[in-house]
Formats: sequence, structure tokens, C-alpha cells
Amino acid sequence: MFGLPLAFAAPAVLVALVGLGALYYLLRVTPPAPRRVQFPPLRLLLGLATHETEPARTPWPILALRLVIAAMIIVAMAQPLWRSLTALGGSGPLLVLIDDGWPAAPTFDKRVAFAREQAAAAARAGRVVALKPLSEAGRDVTPMNPGEIDGRLRALAPAPYVPAREAALPAIERFLAASPGADALWIADGVELGGAQAFAARPALARSVDVVLDGGGVRAVAGADNASGSLKARLVRTGAAAPAVGVARALDSQGREIGRAPFDFAAGAAVEARFDLPVELRNEAQRIVIDDERSAGATWLVDDRSRRRRVAIATGASADTAQPLVAPSYYLERALAPFADVAEWRDSASDPIVALLAEKPSVLALADMSVAPGPEHDAIERFLEGGGVLVRFAGARLAGGDDDLTPTALRRGGRTLGGALSWDTPRHVAPFDKDSPFFGLAVPDEVTVSRQVLAEPEPGLAGKTWARLADGTPLVTAERRGKGLIVLFHVTADTTWSNLPLSGLFVDMLRKVVAEADAPAAGGDRKGARSATVSLPPWRTLNGFGALGLPPPQAEPIGDAFADVGDAAHPPGLYGAPESLRAVNALAPGQTLAAADYGGLKPRVGALDAAPPLDLRAILLTLAVVGLMIDALVALWLGRGSGLRRGAVAALLIVAARGSAVPHRAQAADAPPGAHDMEAALLARLAYVSTGDATVDETSRLGLAALTRVLSSRTSAELGEPAAVDPARDELAFYPLIYWPIVADRPQPSPEVRARLAAYMKNGGTVLFDTRDALTAIPGGAPTPEGLWLRALLAGADVPALEPAPRDHVLTKTFYLLDRLVGRTAVGQTWVEALPPPDPNERVQRPVRAADSVSPIIIVSDDLAGGWAADADGHPLFPLVPGGPRQREFALRSGVNIVMYTLTGNYKADQVHAKDIIERLTR
Amino acid sequence: MTVPPSIRLEAADLSARLPSLILAARNVAQTVRHGVHGRRKAGSGESFWQFRPFLSGEPASRVDWRRSARGEHAYVREREWESAHTVWIWFERSASMRFGSNLAPVTKIDRAAVIALGFADLSVRSGERAGLLGMTRPLANSGVIESFAEAIASSERLHGPSDAPLPPPAPIGARSLVLLVGDFLGEPAETERTLRAIAAEGAVGELVMIVDPIEETYPFSGHVEFHHPVGALRLRTQQAQSLRDAYLARLAAHREELRRLCARLGWGLSLHRTDASPAEALLALRMRLATPAAGAYRSA
Repeated sequence: MFGLPLAFAAPAVLVALVGLGALYYLLRVTPPAPRRVQFPPLRLLLGLATHETEPARTPWPILALRLVIAAMIIVAMAQPLWRSLTALGGSGPLLVLIDDGWPAAPTFDKRVAFAREQAAAAARAGRVVALKPLSEAGRDVTPMNPGEIDGRLRALAPAPYVPAREAALPAIERFLAASPGADALWIADGVELGGAQAFAARPALARSVDVVLDGGGVRAVAGADNASGSLKARLVRTGAAAPAVGVARALDSQGREIGRAPFDFAAGAAVEARFDLPVELRNEAQRIVIDDERSAGATWLVDDRSRRRRVAIATGASADTAQPLVAPSYYLERALAPFADVAEWRDSASDPIVALLAEKPSVLALADMSVAPGPEHDAIERFLEGGGVLVRFAGARLAGGDDDLTPTALRRGGRTLGGALSWDTPRHVAPFDKDSPFFGLAVPDEVTVSRQVLAEPEPGLAGKTWARLADGTPLVTAERRGKGLIVLFHVTADTTWSNLPLSGLFVDMLRKVVAEADAPAAGGDRKGARSATVSLPPWRTLNGFGALGLPPPQAEPIGDAFADVGDAAHPPGLYGAPESLRAVNALAPGQTLAAADYGGLKPRVGALDAAPPLDLRAILLTLAVVGLMIDALVALWLGRGSGLRRGAVAALLIVAARGSAVPHRAQAADAPPGAHDMEAALLARLAYVSTGDATVDETSRLGLAALTRVLSSRTSAELGEPAAVDPARDELAFYPLIYWPIVADRPQPSPEVRARLAAYMKNGGTVLFDTRDALTAIPGGAPTPEGLWLRALLAGADVPALEPAPRDHVLTKTFYLLDRLVGRTAVGQTWVEALPPPDPNERVQRPVRAADSVSPIIIVSDDLAGGWAADADGHPLFPLVPGGPRQREFALRSGVNIVMYTLTGNYKADQVHAKDIIERLTR
Repeated sequence: MTVPPSIRLEAADLSARLPSLILAARNVAQTVRHGVHGRRKAGSGESFWQFRPFLSGEPASRVDWRRSARGEHAYVREREWESAHTVWIWFERSASMRFGSNLAPVTKIDRAAVIALGFADLSVRSGERAGLLGMTRPLANSGVIESFAEAIASSERLHGPSDAPLPPPAPIGARSLVLLVGDFLGEPAETERTLRAIAAEGAVGELVMIVDPIEETYPFSGHVEFHHPVGALRLRTQQAQSLRDAYLARLAAHREELRRLCARLGWGLSLHRTDASPAEALLALRMRLATPAAGAYRSA
């Protein structure tokens, strides 16, 4: 609009701007509210005729402000959009094609947002819009209304596989043919997978399609190898556009990170990321993902097949390391090393099998060794019960020995084929049966067996046989024993009986045997279960973003031999029973990612990154509200005095201030608790217990403040502002005197508080309890609620014996000479720690008595704080009973005496004797 | 209005700064109350005035034998006639007095209280007795300010705030002095009726008009709605400035009317603006009451 990248979603609303003219006249004749002033001599004004001329006009700045506010609101209602001109040209129907395979997943939000904008822009321009995610092959393309399109796009999620684009072609071509002049917009993922080039070359599309690409490339994991020493993941990328540096992570089945491996593609398209981890951790890995690349392709699922097993090898032969080529363990080690971690016990002097089994291998290989009953035999039995696989190889010892850890009974001795004394030639290995685990392995011709141990013919021998020689004699037999498995090779593990250990078949056979270590113990059912028709149902599948979840309803089970990459029917994921899962990945091991070649089409690279259009509504409405606030303030300033407006402005200011006020409160709450104590420790001050009753607390505060003022003006005790303390929370040790007004209806403090209080009193503090019940208490009568409350409080504390303060108590002499302590009332009894009784033998009658220390507790009932409390001007807050300035003075003097008592202790008790002492000295 | 302590302090402070007030003697001739200042003539009192020869027919008990023994004639000891003057004080406490514009440091009622209480203290300290008209009896103790303040406070508690623009009818002794402090913005006729009633009791009076500066300067313009501090009385004007001249003329006329009334009664009238110092007003009062020529209108 006007060359600006500005558009309106509801331009019709702008017609309302015409109304501004009317508003102008309306506002112009509505004067501002008058100033309201109080004027006592109003009577003198009343008769004066006010010659009414024309009404006052609204000042033009206010008028302009209000018109601008109205205009802003109208424009905002028209839903202005900034930068919305990225819409396509053209006027026919628009078909939006979206690549929604996993390569699009990392940038899927951007793609969907772009598609929504384009669809919305086209809809605004009055074009028919249709949507075709390329994974929905079969569905016909039909135009939809903008709301439907938007809903579909919001609900769209990437598929965990790469859909074949060809499959979607018929529907697209039908639509394009049916709507001539249609334009197509292809939001492509830039990956050749799924036939991007062939798709782009279709003439139907080449005519009118506009390809939009994301600038970045795609990275994925294509293969993981649990090699010896480290777990290696093969990472691929489409090209240099994809970030070269990153981190791959290995996750376990719970999604916890096991290891990290940084990688750097440098200039290449593939790189290997190595996780250097202990084998136990490597075996835990279930997923390998690329950081910051959320897609099914960047997630490689690892199943049990790539788990490395620990194989322990024990031989009956004394180890001869000088001649490794004749040692059976040498061949075993070499054959097992590619897929398992081998542990070998070389020290034949000690108990090799028990020691090896203590390391908890999955497989125990015994090369020509007979196991006699004893600890070794028991250890192997336990190992088998626990699910271990025992692999035995025949040999002279086994053939001559006699043990029961074989799948089948063996004939003593053995059979020699093709030897010097035999007619036979060495036998070849027969092809494997269908129900053998070795089925599928190619049998090379050069493998020959010249000697073997023979099984006793017995029923069921055929079922136990996994491999046989060409003449039908068993070569490998196996038997389930508990959860475990015994596999017997009827030849040696070295080359003396056959050349099998030299062939690749030996490695493959051992691999199959070791893989049995984790196969579920299906017992006799194994034979049937091993057929090719076995189906593994999906257990967990990946979504397009690479997150494992429940499989979609259309996911189908895979067969045992399934080796493809994931597709719509078999989404990448984990199949089978949870204890033995089979992984299906989005990429094949070793696959590469090629960038797509769009042929004649000119892809717009990076168009997805264009900033989305800005909805100006929020800005305009905010400005309008600010304008209204200014208008309210101006009106307030002009009219000065309308309560309603003042309230409105106050509310606005409160709303504005809230944002900053709240964090401050929170900060205050977070302040270290030491600050309060620090302050208390630096300056002596009186303290009162905040009871939670606001009136009582305020009275305490004002009373102590008044007392503090009196103290600093009359005595040398210059104390700080009184502090409110919570005995449950605050450190009490800093306060010489704590005033505790008793409020009967407050809950009793916790036992910890009592303990702290007792500790405070024991350490020399004084608590001044004030029951404030002097007027309600009946001397000798039932205790008041306050009295009961105090009793309950002190029940747990270690309180000294108390007595009513005698007239000669030092408390009445510390600063002023008083008869008694008074407060707001003057009838209450004062209780202090009991003094030692006067000494009858004392020569002179002492005018004052004192204990050795300050009484830790003083209980009064005259509401002392009420007697002291005064406002800031020094005016008493409470009437006294019976009353009079004299009583107030005496109340303050009582307070001064109490404070002096707590600060100076029994010093004054000695001081009143000073005269006698001096006399005695001068005598 | 309860008198705030700051007012009390200010009043006491103010009266302490003024010299002691001796009222003109001419009005006290027939007041029989004892007081501390001598009337410069023989009468009942404490201090010696003169000896005069005994007149036959007098009771013999009047003879001062000590003096008479020194001569041949019998003498009578005369004492100076001492009497106290009674000052009745009243200040207006209506809502109109509670007004204080931003041109003035205090509200009118604060200033009125300072002047009234200060004058009371001044009078008591110079030996007069002062009473709060209609509230207290004449008091002569030094705590008169506190007593007055308490009386006002208790009256407010009992009867609520007083809104009377003029003093209540109360017994006033003849020859008493009455000090009325207020803004006297009510109808002049009513003011006259009240003043005449007081004058009829034989008292002389003194009026202090308290004025807020804004009432004199009328600095309003534009669209203004005036309203009275109490009641629904209000006036809205589009151009307040057009009323200024007429208002000032009316104000002058109103004051002139009051001044004529006071002149007729022989009372004094002074004007006090709240932006001026209260000491000025009190000093002027004291000067005028110390001289016999009370009653002239002057502005303080």
C-alpha cells in the first residue's frame, strides 16, 4: 500500500476513518471539565450574573490527541501487516507442496510458518489454495478454505521416513490439469532422497512450480559400529551448507546421555564420530543423535545385534605363547575380536574357569577341556543357569574325558577322516538347515574336517544339531540348559582337526553363537520361531523429529530378515519384544546424503528465513492506551479534582508500577537473614516480640520508641530504634531487654521457641512479660486468659522462682526512686526473680536488696507500652487509668528504671550504700 | 476541631513573646472581682494604698491602730482596689474556616486558634481572667491554653464539630471584653444582631477577621466551578476572570458594612491575612487594648 510493505487484513474497517470528522466536531464542542475550587466567600459571588458567552473549546492539543487515538484504534481494527508483500505473484489457484520427510524436520516450524503465510497471503489476494504434503501420497488434492489450510498446516508433522515423491504425482497432476493457470509452490527439503530430481523434472511441475529451499543443509547418522575400543558413528551431510562442526551424543534406553563425541566434517560429506567409552557403557547405548539436528535421520537406533559381548576363553592346553599358531585360543581370539571383547586366562596354574566367570562374561569358550565335577563344574552350572552361553570345542581331552556339559552324549575316542590309516577323505561341511541359526551363511568349499568327535546316536540329536558334515554327522550341536546354552563344535578350535578355524565361516558361526547369548530362551519353541515368517511388532517408533514414541496405527511388524530403511509401513524404530529389540533406521548403514538437483527449476534459497510479517495491531493498540493515559492525566490536570478520574489514574499508575514493585518484594524476601541481626548487633536497642496482633505490635513499637526517646533525653542510655523480633526466627542475643505483651488469642509458640527463650534468659537477657490484664484480673481469683497463656508458655521453660517485687527491690531504685511500677494502669503486681531473704544478722538495715544478677524475667500486668505509647509529636495515645500527667510520668519512670535495671544490674544496689562506704573509709 | 498541640505550642510561644498586657482601666470601674492589678485607687485588695484620716461614723474596726498610735489622729489603712478584667474569647470553627488555599501556609482556623488562644494566655499572664465564650468559665490559671483546648475537644466529642458562624448566646458580664475571631462572611445583618446582643450585655468587643489570601486576590480564570466548603452551594462560571472586579467590590462593601457596625458599637475590627504573621495581629490587639482609643478599624 502506497509503496510500503503494508497490508490490511480487514481493509473495510478503514472506512470508519471517515467518522473522525464527525468526532472532531463532537470533541470540539465538549469542553473539558471545569476546575473545581473551594471558595468560602462564595456567597459574595452568588448574585453576580455570569454573562455566558460561547462554551469553552477543547484545547487543540487534546483534540488532536484524541483524534489520533481514535484513528489508531480504527487502523488497528483493520489488522495492518508490515512486510506482507512477499506473497507470490499470479492470480490462479495456488498449490502448496511441502516436503515433510525427516530431512525437513529440523526446520519444520519455519517451513510451516512460511506455508501459512503464503497460504494466507494468497487467500487475501482471493486465490484458491490447495495443500499437498508429499507424504500423503494417495490423497487427492482439493482446494480448501483459509481456515482449513491453516488448521492442516498447524497439525502437520514431519514423517520419520522420506516419502517417495513419485507416489504423490498423480494427485498433483490431476489437480494441475483440472485448474489451469495454477501455480505451485514447493517447499523442498533439498535432499535427493525420495527422488527429488525426477520429481522436479516432471513437465507438469516444471511449468509453474516455484521451489523454496532452506539455506542450511541436512545432517544425518548413517550407521554405528560398536567396534572394539570405541563406538563409531558414521555421520553424513548433504553438502557444505550444513554445519560442519557439532557434537554427537549417545543416549541409553532412558534417554540419558552416555557419551559425547565432537565431530568436524571439514570439507567432506561424511565423518566418523568416536565415543571412547567402556564396553559396558557402549552396550547401554540405544540411540546416537546429532545435537541441534532434530530429525529421525539424525537419530540412529542401536539394537542388541551391535552389542559387544564379553567372551572368556579357557583352554585345557598349557599356554605356549612362543608358538601361538598351534594354540586354540589364538584362533578363537582372532575370530571373536571383531564383534566381542575377549578375555583370556593364561595362567593355567590357578583355577581359570572360576576366575574367568567372576568377570561375568556373556560367553565362555572352552577349547578342548574336560570339566570334572568340582568347583569349576559348579561354577559353569551356575553360569548356564544364569543365561550364559558355553561354547566348547572338541579335542583330545574332551574325546578322552567324561563330562556332562555337552549337548549330547559323545562317543569316546573320535573319528579320523582322510588320515593315513583311513579310507575316507576329509569331509566338507553340509549346507545349513533352515532351522539352524547358521542358516543363510555361505559354506565355502575349502572347509574340510579331518577329525571329529562323534555324538552317540540318540533321539532328538537331529534337533540339537546346528551344522553337520556332508555325511550327516553333527559338526555343531547345541542344547538349552536352564536359561543358558551349550554349543559344542565337534572339532578343535585350532587347525589340527580341521581348517574351519582358518575360514571366514568360523567367524560368522561364532558371531551367530555369540548373538545367541541374548536371545530369549525359547526352549523347544526356538525351532519354529526361527522361521522366516517371524514377525516383530513395532515397539517404539521415531517420529519425524527423532523422538521415540508409541508406534502409529499404520506401522506394520517387520520380518526377521528385514534389512531395509524405514518407510511408511515400517517407520524407523525398535521392533520386537522389549528384551530383544530390532532397530530399523531411517538411513541404511553407509548411505550418503546427496543434495537435490532441481534441474531447470530455480530454487529460491533462504526464502524461508525472511522475517515474518509484523502484526501492527499490538503496537497500535499499545500506543492508543498510552495516549488514553496521557489524555486522562491531562484531563486530570485541567479538571483537577474529580475523584473518579483520580482513581483511574491511580489505577493506571499502579498497573505501571506493579511490574517493578513485585520483584523488589521478592528480593527483600531473599535478602540474607543476617542483615537484620547485623543491624541489631551494631547498636543496642530495645526489642519487642511481634505477637501478630497489629494493634498490640504497633503499641509496643510506639511505646518502646517513646521510652527510647525519654531514655536518651534523661539518661546516658542512647538506644537505637526499637526492633520487632520473632523469637522463632531472629537471634535474641543482641537485645538486653525484650518486651513481650501477651495476647491470649494468639497460638502458643513452638517448643523450639521456648528453648530459645530459655537459652536467652539463661545467657543474661531479660524478658519483660506484660499480661496487660491488671483491670480484669481479680486478686486471688481465677487467672485471666493472658495469665493462663503465659503459664502455658513458661511451663516448658526453666524459670527461676518468682515473687512479687518487694518495695526495696533494686528495680525501684535504679534511676528514679519509685514505689512501684505503673503503666497504663496502676494496680497490677510486678513479679521478679525471688531475692534471697534479708539477712537477719545484718547490722544495718539496707535500703535496697538485690540478687547477684539481673532477674531474667519480669512479669507486669499494667500494660507498660500502653502507658508509654505516644505519637510522633509526643502525644499520648491511650488514656491512663486512673489518669493524669503524673501517672504518665511515672509510667515512663518505671520504664526508665526497668531499662536501667537490665543495663546496669545490681550496680545501683551498691550505689545506695556509697554514702555508708565513704563514711566508713573516712573514719 | 480538636486543637492540635502544635497550635497550642504556637499560641503559648506567641503570647510569651509579647509584653504583658495591661488593659485600659476605664472599663473596669464596676467590676468587683479581685485580681492582681491595682486600679490606682482605694478599694478592696491586698496591697497598701494610703492612710486616710478616720471619718466619724465609720466602724472602729477600720482604724489602723499602729499608725494612729504614732500621731494624734486616728487613721484608716486603705488598700489599693484590685480587680481582674474578664476576657471572653471565641473563635469560629465552621467548615468555612477550615479552608486554606495554597497561597497560605495554614488554614484559617489554625490561625484563628493561634490568635485566640495566644490572646487568652496573654490576658491571663497579665492578670486577667479569660473564658471561652459559651464553653468555660473565666479562668486565671497558667494552663489556660490547655484548658481551652480540652474544652473544645470535649465539646466536639459531645456535640460534634461546631459549624456556627457566630458565637452562641451566653451570659457575659458587663464591662467584659469579648474577642471574636472568624471570617465573618455570613450575612452582615445576622452578624449585627449577634454583636448587638453581646453589646447589650454591656461588653465591649474586638473582631478579628481572618482572611485567606486567595479570598482577597481572586486569582481565578477560565472554566471554574466554585463550591462552598459545606452544603451544596456551587457556582459554575465559564470565565471566572470576568467576575473579579465585581467580587472585589462586593468584598470591600461587605467589610465596610462590618466596619460601620463595629464603629457604631464602639468595637474594634482588625483584618488578618493568613499569610501574615500571627504575632502582628496579636501585637496590634495588645496595643489597641492597652490604649483607651479602642474601636478604630485598622488592618493588621
